[in-house]
Formats: sequence, structure tokens, C-alpha cells
Amino acid sequence: MSLVALLIIAFGGALLTYILGKLSSRIRDSFAVIISLVLLAIIACFYGRSVEKTFYSGFFGLGLVLRLNMLSWFFAIAISALGALSVIFSLSYMKDREHTDFYYLTLLLVNAAMLGIVLAGDLVSFYIFWEVMSWSTFLLISYNRGPALAAGMKYIIMSIIGSLAMLIGMLSLYTTYGTLSISGISAVIASASSGYILFILIIFSIAFGIKNAVMPLHTWLPDSYAEAPSPFTAVLSGMLTRMGIYGFVLIMYVIVGAVSTLNLGPGILKFNYILAWLGAITIVIPTFIAMLQNDAKKLLAWHGIGQGGYMILGIAFGTSLGLAGGIFHTLNHAIYIVLLFMSVGAVQYRTNGERDLNSLGGLIKKMPIAFIGGLLGISGLIGVPLTNGFVSKWLIYKTLIVEGYPFLTFAALIGTWGTILSVYKFLHNMFLGQLPEKYKDVEKSPLSMQLPMIVLSLAILLFGILPGIPLKVINAIGISFGFESLNVTIWGIASETGTLNTINIFSAVLVAGFIVWILFRLGAKSVPVSQQDSYAAGAHTPADKYHYTAEFYNPLYRMIKPFLRDVIDEFYYWIAASVQRLCGGIRHVYTGDVGYYVTYIILFLAILIFVQLKWKPW
Amino acid sequence: MVVKIVQIILSPILALVVGVFFLGLARKIIARIHWRHGPPLIQPLIDIIRLFYQKSVSHGRMFDLGIIFSLAGSIVLVLFLPLGRWCPLSSSGGLLVILYIMLIAPLGVALSAGEGANPNISIGISRKFILSLGYEVPLLLVLLAVMTHYKTISIMEVVSVQQSTSWSIISFPLFLSGLSYFLILPAILGIRPFDVSSAPQEISSGPMAEYGGKYLALATIEHAFVLFISIALFVNLFLGGAANPVIFFVKMLVVFVLGLCINAVFPRFRIEQAIKYLWKWPTLLAFVGLIITLAIRS
Repeated sequence: MSLVALLIIAFGGALLTYILGKLSSRIRDSFAVIISLVLLAIIACFYGRSVEKTFYSGFFGLGLVLRLNMLSWFFAIAISALGALSVIFSLSYMKDREHTDFYYLTLLLVNAAMLGIVLAGDLVSFYIFWEVMSWSTFLLISYNRGPALAAGMKYIIMSIIGSLAMLIGMLSLYTTYGTLSISGISAVIASASSGYILFILIIFSIAFGIKNAVMPLHTWLPDSYAEAPSPFTAVLSGMLTRMGIYGFVLIMYVIVGAVSTLNLGPGILKFNYILAWLGAITIVIPTFIAMLQNDAKKLLAWHGIGQGGYMILGIAFGTSLGLAGGIFHTLNHAIYIVLLFMSVGAVQYRTNGERDLNSLGGLIKKMPIAFIGGLLGISGLIGVPLTNGFVSKWLIYKTLIVEGYPFLTFAALIGTWGTILSVYKFLHNMFLGQLPEKYKDVEKSPLSMQLPMIVLSLAILLFGILPGIPLKVINAIGISFGFESLNVTIWGIASETGTLNTINIFSAVLVAGFIVWILFRLGAKSVPVSQQDSYAAGAHTPADKYHYTAEFYNPLYRMIKPFLRDVIDEFYYWIAASVQRLCGGIRHVYTGDVGYYVTYIILFLAILIFVQLKWKPW
Repeated sequence: MVVKIVQIILSPILALVVGVFFLGLARKIIARIHWRHGPPLIQPLIDIIRLFYQKSVSHGRMFDLGIIFSLAGSIVLVLFLPLGRWCPLSSSGGLLVILYIMLIAPLGVALSAGEGANPNISIGISRKFILSLGYEVPLLLVLLAVMTHYKTISIMEVVSVQQSTSWSIISFPLFLSGLSYFLILPAILGIRPFDVSSAPQEISSGPMAEYGGKYLALATIEHAFVLFISIALFVNLFLGGAANPVIFFVKMLVVFVLGLCINAVFPRFRIEQAIKYLWKWPTLLAFVGLIITLAIRS
């Protein structure tokens, strides 16, 4: 099967889903699931193939090219797998809502466009798919109306700025080299001056930095994540935002090439070094802002920004370990953040859309699968050993330490420790603690929500215990960029300066856990008690009076809150307000009344005549 | 192979014995500072055995699993720490893995206690996490200084280099880091003046509030392990480890008694005061230590 056929199935399937929706919602639902599973199966069969093919050559003299290699396969399989899972999750989440046909159309369109982006072999098709993705995303973010409209507007404005930057870069490349095919440019760009390469890298970094929400270009993300429907937030956070990472890898290591990218600029002012510092800042600040959030989805959204920092850090650092860590973290992050948003979505579905952390609690007894999903999700996010997030973070830390950049490592590590605080609050306030009276009769999540959560939970453990499976593919990507091969085994990475062996950790945890469990079973039996039956030093604890989770880290809030205003967002709003004021001022001149314009023309002519009569310049 | 298996079985048992001994010793020393007689040295052991026979309450699955998971994490951690020349799992990821496995224990307790739905627990956990964020800042800087200085993430190598040259605590830039670690040690152990999260008179021992019987027994064992691990890490990183476990335990004893005597006389901090202290002097020392280490290296 060719790549063109794949994209036709993807886009055609999206349109057909919309049409089928007009007939019957059941047919539409099953068709949407089938089409995403078919795409997944086809891409899985593409493993290891390497194709480059011009599928249309009449586009203003530019050939439109599709190409498949290890890098695009890696992203494509992640996109299609997570896309399929989120479609399955949507089945019950979107039931009984309005405009569901439209929802499925745009959701499938976003997935198709992302596939197009990673399969694009020239910058024109890349740009077209990029725009399709941006606009469908805009429609989905504003799906809920109300505050979602404002969030969508913020997103699309920043997105357009990014697209324009990319367009400038493309025009410049075209006028310089006369081609826009990726392999064509990468063959000739090495001879360009370092100033020009820097220009290209920066202009594309703006586009990809906005998409990946690198500080200070992150401000669209929290609102969009919070307001979009939860199954789509999963796609948005899992893969769509990470198209920025794909873009960074593409421009830095495929188009410009590792050698040119990593030697750009003097000493510590190197391009990739500055990018690494931006990554570090992107890790630290959002992680601390996340602690202050009381909205479950906003909390995760800020972590979405922060985790993006790890990927940037790994990729920008540009060692084979760092690159592998960065790309692996992209995949791992996608898995656990999708799982977390699904967990929130499942809770929202059963509690009438409640996502305020202060008014939930105790749901572990009602929704065990959602809890397990949440628990494994936060473990991956923290990077607890034996979950996938640990391995990729380990790779990044190790390369930073061994290369001698302890302050970058410190930023990355302290980000992890800040993460624990906020994600514990996230899990505790939703699932642990006291179950409010009003949620006494909450049912467990429907099967179509449980299934994706179970699959993703297993994936977290699988890649955490046997990280060699994805690392083999990632290693091949690194080799294709000209990096040295890593010594990857199925359970870790071997090297002289410190080895990772997850299977040792796994067996140790298993045995130790078993021994402690035996000890636990040998002790006297415990009696199950209700949540009201708790120790309060003799005082009576009234039911449903206190919520033990509100203001969870109050002492810390008081200390750090003054330092954590989102100044950048306020600055952008100030720019927007100033532009609005300026335009308001201009509107006094351009009133739209023809009489005024005639007056302006006559006045202008009068001035010209006066000038001519007085000084005779012409 | 056989030697290795024996080491794997023996290290956690030794750690448990030493940890429980330290618990008893701590009560004795504090009692003597207060001019009391104090309980016998083996009192913690008697308590643990008694608790296993006592009835307890359970608040649900996570309440049970969390504490099991937490203790299992601590036992695994012991296997990653060199005790003298013993280090059964030295080649499985080094200091970075140790750092991350150290997370499992508090996280497990927090998840377990979290299901208890008790206000004292919530306050205790919140304080515990804030405190740990407080001491992690200097601790991470200290560990990074060590790793940068020895250019490795393997703790075994840190120990063996120290044994062939000199202890880190008396070598030039690293003594700053060592001092910083010693200053935050009571915060890591959660003893005076940093016993904010388990303050018995104030919030009914915080996360322990709903624990009784075997839960409390496991939590006590867990505490013994944490005591052992934090001090063992210090001995390995700064006092050159040891040639055999006996000398290793003697070094640990010295560090523990020193730390206890200095801190036992202070009243308890409030959580804000604790953070302010931790982010001031220890952080400053660790920061300067790291900068000098980096400057010397490059």
C-alpha cells in the first residue's frame, strides 16, 4: 500500500464519518473506530520501510513529496495508536451531545493531518498539513463555546504567528535554493553561511516553539487544554503539541544536519545550548505554577508545558543519549498524559463535568479503573522507576551529568520533585480522601472508557520494564542522523559511565513486594471501616462538613505565589490591548464614510500644491 | 554468584537490624538529654512484634497496598547502596536510580494514608511533601556536585575513588557539599526540629493517624529503613564508604549520634520556618560547592 493511499483513507475516512453520521450515529461510531484501527494496522505494517515518492508535481513547479523513514514511522505509529484510543474513548464521552458528527469529523481530520505532517517529504505539503491541523484544532478547542471560544482564539492567533514565521523561512529557502523538498535542501544547506543557517533555525524554532509551548511562547496552552473536550485534550496534549518536537528534530537534524546545528555560535552562546536553557526554564516554572492550580485539567496542562521542556532539553543537547531521551520522552509523555486526561475525562463524565479539585474526592471506591489509570499516569509523569517516564528522564539526566552541565540537570531534577507535589494533590483530591455525599451513587466508567485506559496503563509498565522495545527504533533514528549507536538491550542501556538495568530493579521490587506482602498477611487481620470512622483525638468529625483536600499546600502557596505570576501572558495581553487601542485610534481617521476620504484626498492635494508653489521641488 | 545472593539476602536484614537499633538508641539518647531514664534499647523491636499481633482497621485496597509498596521500595533501595564493598545491584543505574527509588517510600505512605480520609493525615502529608521539596533543593545540588566531581553516576565508583584517594568530606570543594548534606540530614530523617509532618502532639502523628496494628509495625520498619538509607548515603558519598560492613556501621553510628545530639535540643520548626532554613544556608553552601566543583572541572 502506498503512502498516498494511506492519506486518502485517513482524510476520506474523516469525511465519510461525517456523512455516515447524518444516517445513523451507531454506524458513524463504529466506522470512526474501524477507520482509526485500519490506519493503525497499515502503519504498523510499514515498519522498517523507507520510501520517498513524488505524488504530484504540478504545484507551481514544485513537487509534492511523501516520504517514510524511521523517524516518521515512529511518530506515525504513536499518532495513529493514540488517535484510535481517543476515538474509542470518545464513544461514550460524546454520547448525547450536540454536533457529534462535526466532532468526529474534526477529530479524524486532526489525526489525518498529523499523519500528513510526519509523512511529508517537502515543506509545501508539510505546511499544508500543518495548517489543516491548526485550523481543525481551533474548531475542536472552541467546541464547548463560552470560555472555550476565547481559548480557541488565543490558540489560533499564536498558531498563525507561528505559521507566518514558517512561511517566511520557507520563502527564504525557496529563493535561495530553488527547491523545497526536504532531502533536496538538506543536501545543499551544509555549504551555507552560519548566519543564514542560524536565521533558518530561529525562524522555524518560533513556529515549532509555539506549537510545543516552549517558554515564552507557551501562553495558549493552559486555556486550550482546559476548555477542549477531554478526549480531544488527550490528542492535543499527547501528539498534536508534540508536532513541535517533530518539527525541531526535522529542522535541526534532518534539514540542517547535526554537524551544522551543534556548532553554531561561540562557546556558551551556541544555538542549541540556548535552546537547552529555554527547555530548562520551561521545565521549572510551569511545574511550580501547576502546584497552584485547582482545576484538574489546567494542572495537567501546565505539566504538559513542563514535560515539553524535557524533550527540548534532550533534543537540543544533541548527544546520542540526549536525543534518544528527548524522542523517547515524547512517546512516554504522550502515553501518560493521554491516560491522565482520560482519567479526568472519566471522572468528568460521571460527575457532570466537575473538574474542580476542591469539590471531588474519594472516588477510588467508585471508579477503580480510572484511579489505576490516574496512579500509573502520575507515576509515569513523576518518573517512578519501572514506569516509562523514568527511562527517558534517566537518559536525559545521564547525558547532562556526564557532559558536565549540572545546573541544567538541577533544573530538570527539581522539576521532577515539584511534579510530585502537584500530581499527588491531583490524585488525592480526585480519588483519595473523603467521598462527598453527592457522589455516593457514582457508577464506574463505561467499558469504552476503561479499555483505552487499561491499554495505556499496560503500555506505561511495558515500556518502563522493557524500554529496549521503543529504544531500538529510536536508536535507529539517531544513527540515521549520524550519531553513534547506543548499546541498547531489551531492558536498558549499557555504557562505561553507568548502566541502566530495569529488569534488575523489576525483579528486586517484585521479590521485596512479595516478602512484605507475606509479612502483611501473617499479621493479625484488619477490620474494614467506613470513611466516617476515623481517629480525631476524641472529637466528633461531622460527615461532609470539611473537605480535607482544599488548600492542600497552603503554607507553600503563601511563600511562592507572589513569584509565580504568568508575566508573559500578561505581557501578551498588554500587547493585544495596545494594538486594540491603536486600531481604535486609527478608526477615528478611517471612519468608513466616503465624505471623510474625499476630504483627506483634497487636503493631501492641497498640501502638495502648497509645497510645489512654495519650494518648487518638482 | 552464591556470594551475591547471600549479599542480597543479608543486606536488607542488616539494614533492618541497624535501623531498629538506631530507633532505640535515639529514644535512649533523647531521654538522657531530658534527664530521664528512657526505655530499653530493644523497645522498638518489642513494639513491632507486639503490633503484628494487634487488631487494626483498614480503609480500603490502596490503604493496604500503599504501605506494602512503600516498604518494598525501601528494601530495594538498600540493595542499591554499597555497604562496605557489598553492593548487590551496583550496575543497575547508579545514583540516579537511588534518587528516584527514594521517592517510592514517601509516595507509598502518602497514597496509603490518603485513603484514610482524616484531616490530620492530609495536613501531615501536605507538610511532608512541602518539607521534602525544601530539602531536595540542597540535596540535589549536593548530589550533582558529587557526580560532577567524580564524573560518574555510579555510586560504587564514587566510593572506590574515595578509598584510593581521600574522603570527599575533607577534599576541597566537596566539603561544602558534605556540610550541606549534614545540615539537612535531620530534615531528611524527619527528626527534631523537622518533625513537622509526624508531630504527635499537634496533628496526631500526621500520616500515621489511621495506622494501627500491622500497619503501624510496617510503618515503623519503614522508618528504620529510611534512617538507615539516608545515613548510609552520606557515609558512602562523603566518608569514603568502608572496606567491610562493620566499619561502615561504626561510621553510620558516629554520624547519627552527632546529628541527634545537635538537633535534639531544638524546638520544632513551623513548616514555613523549615523551608526558609533549608533554602537559605544549606542551599547556599551546596550551590557554592557545585559552582567551585564545576569551575575546577573545566
